[in-house]
Amino acid sequence: MRTQGCHVSVVRERSIAALCALFVLSACTRSAGSPGDTSTSTSASSTSPEQPAVSHLLVAGDSLRFIQHDENLPVGFPTSVKPLLIKNPYEGDKAAISTGGKLFIAYNCLDCHGADGSGAMAPTFQDGRWHFGGSPGEVFESIYQGRPDGMPAWGGRISNDQIWMLTAYVRSLSSKDLSTENFTGKTIERTGH
Amino acid sequence: MIEGVRRTSAFLMLAGLCACKMESKPPAIDTTGSSDPKVTSTAAVGTSSVSGARIAVPHAGPPGEWQMPAGDYASSRYSELATITPQNAANLHVAWAFSTGVLRGHEGQPLVVGNTMYVVTPYPNVSYAIDLAQTGQPLKWKFRPENAQQAIGRACCDVVNRGAAYADGKIFYNLLDGHTVAIDAATGTQVWRTKMGDLSRGETITMAPIVVKGKVIVGSSGGEMGVRGWIAALDASTGKQVWRAYNIGPDKDVKVGPKFKPFYAHDRGTDLGVSSWPGDTWKTGGGTVWGWLSYDPALNLIYHGTSNPGPWNENQRVGDNKWTAAILARDGDTGEMVWAFQVTPHDMWDYDAVNENILVDLPIKGQMRKALVHFDRNGFAYTIDRATGEVILAEPFVPMNWSTGVDLTTGRPRVVETKKTAQDKNVKDICPSLEGGKNQQPAAFSPQTGLFYVPTNNLCMDFQARAVTYIAGTPFIGGNAPEKGGPGGYRGEFIAWDATIGKKIWGIKEPYPVWGGALATAGGVVFYGTLDGWFKAVNARSGKVLWQFKVGSGVVGNPVTYTGPDGKQYVAIYAGIGGDMGLLIAGDVASNLPYDVRERGTTLPDISRWTSWGGELFVFSL
Repeated sequence: MRTQGCHVSVVRERSIAALCALFVLSACTRSAGSPGDTSTSTSASSTSPEQPAVSHLLVAGDSLRFIQHDENLPVGFPTSVKPLLIKNPYEGDKAAISTGGKLFIAYNCLDCHGADGSGAMAPTFQDGRWHFGGSPGEVFESIYQGRPDGMPAWGGRISNDQIWMLTAYVRSLSSKDLSTENFTGKTIERTGH
Repeated sequence: MIEGVRRTSAFLMLAGLCACKMESKPPAIDTTGSSDPKVTSTAAVGTSSVSGARIAVPHAGPPGEWQMPAGDYASSRYSELATITPQNAANLHVAWAFSTGVLRGHEGQPLVVGNTMYVVTPYPNVSYAIDLAQTGQPLKWKFRPENAQQAIGRACCDVVNRGAAYADGKIFYNLLDGHTVAIDAATGTQVWRTKMGDLSRGETITMAPIVVKGKVIVGSSGGEMGVRGWIAALDASTGKQVWRAYNIGPDKDVKVGPKFKPFYAHDRGTDLGVSSWPGDTWKTGGGTVWGWLSYDPALNLIYHGTSNPGPWNENQRVGDNKWTAAILARDGDTGEMVWAFQVTPHDMWDYDAVNENILVDLPIKGQMRKALVHFDRNGFAYTIDRATGEVILAEPFVPMNWSTGVDLTTGRPRVVETKKTAQDKNVKDICPSLEGGKNQQPAAFSPQTGLFYVPTNNLCMDFQARAVTYIAGTPFIGGNAPEKGGPGGYRGEFIAWDATIGKKIWGIKEPYPVWGGALATAGGVVFYGTLDGWFKAVNARSGKVLWQFKVGSGVVGNPVTYTGPDGKQYVAIYAGIGGDMGLLIAGDVASNLPYDVRERGTTLPDISRWTSWGGELFVFSL
């Protein structure tokens, strides 16, 4: 189901993403499948299973570009399009972050990423390092399509709305990036525990 | 489990704020000298010797070789080599070293067959054949298997591998992604490869196989992922599965039939692997086989433990949860269950029973007994009749408070009411912690002294259970268990144990859990490594530290000894902190940036002062 969603294509297939997203912008409001189809009950106020239109995620006036990190572009690579700034509709929204925290437990994210994202069999969210990018769009993408080291793909299993709330929650856990330590065992201040 | 742990499980060792602060300065440990033996050794008290004790199965191959994970089927980790003695051990020095190129937890041990040493790394489970006969120890071959990257995130407790087994010209080992491979020992060519585990359901494999009568015996990991644990036999020449036995479920799956004769009455009955679980919960109940295997050729029995039941939250699986947290004896040809002993029925503390079962004949109360000695996560050391499954004695070998003892008429522990965990309750100060009084770090046995040499942990925990939903491929745990140092101001101890009476003879207190295994030798010297990176030689009788060397990383592996082509005795050990205990302590182990060594310490926040990532083999000689 996931490949039928235009938004999915945006996050999965960068080479064809622009076309798909244009399509999204113009017309696509169809369902991405049956999100919310999960055995887990949560207190999340899951919105309609309909795929939200992507258009509201774009900052007005920006045209499209899908490579978010210039350092990955070869020198002289034509960049005729401007950045696509995927906005999280819940960025900074306290209620949504709180719901995201509940989803984080309900979907067993906690058991890999640790309480408050302190890390364990999966990476921490507290150290300011994002292996696959820390922008809202990139975090959404990591949750939606999974990551090669074992992060399951949640796209199609839970609603995109819930993924955005999880995105808002895990981004809220990130603290400062500390590059040195003095081995007193107390160097790094941590949040959450 | 957290295989490791369980997994097992270290990932939930979220030391609370208070624990962090407390543990950053462990009160009774000298932090200026790390584990200086003068500071941490207790006085050597005993010179006890158990006369007549013997290992049940002889060393595999010539005494100068190390062909199977524990050196023999009995899991004794004892070598007849005797050149290194208490008199000369102080002259030990590094002979050579080898980087494995991998910076994850190096549990397990190398093998030595002829003049070749075989090394298997943590994920990606590369294997090396090292030519010991040539100066500079060049590689004969290097084998890099296909190994799904997803496995990294499905393994609960670091991406460890506990080693290979050698038989009939082949090296057999397991891949984290659930495959078993056979490699031609001479050429490094893959002979066969068999998919045994289902990674999408969270099944991985970390254990070391043994080869019994032409069959490779392997078992699954994933007790924290809601898998259904199994043990299986593969034809060593073809890789075809000969049998597979689940540890929970209906009798036919568990291989319970006419041969099944458990010692205790409450273990008899039909389909107990179903009826001791509510509803269908057995289908996601854990009971994996990620620890060590033993085999008694005379009784033709394979012995293995099973992991914790899943989830940790006991409210979701009321009942005995057979056959999780159990020791099982299976027929060496068919896998049929012959006896079963549930060490911790209805485990609610993540006390897997996967630790090694050491097969020895011991004089107990004037009678030689065919014994199996097992140091369990739950803190009791069990001396069991290995023919019948009868518990002869069970005594605590570490500080513990969850049980007042084992009832020998039933084999069941008497549980302290206030230490029972329950959903939505925070039960404080349970000892030992979920890492157990001992975890995967295997003990050794010396027939010279009749003593067991046991690396132990001294940790306690608070346990907060909560409801959890099964979602395939994600953890199925339902609990947090922040850990802290146990009573006495030390967090590990290397002890000598008399299993005929259930008593500690001597102990060397360590600032950190002793997560590496032991080696006993006929020279009267015992070896072990520490989490803060010391490799030590100890007098087997007195417990006096004879020599120590600071290796390149914390030790979670097991020493082996062999005779080199020059006739000298060598001792080899991996340095490479990690595994369940190392998961959270020596850097961002769980990240995919192994070159980033920034501290992430929670349970042992101070250890990164003493060691860091590594992946090296160290070899010592006189």
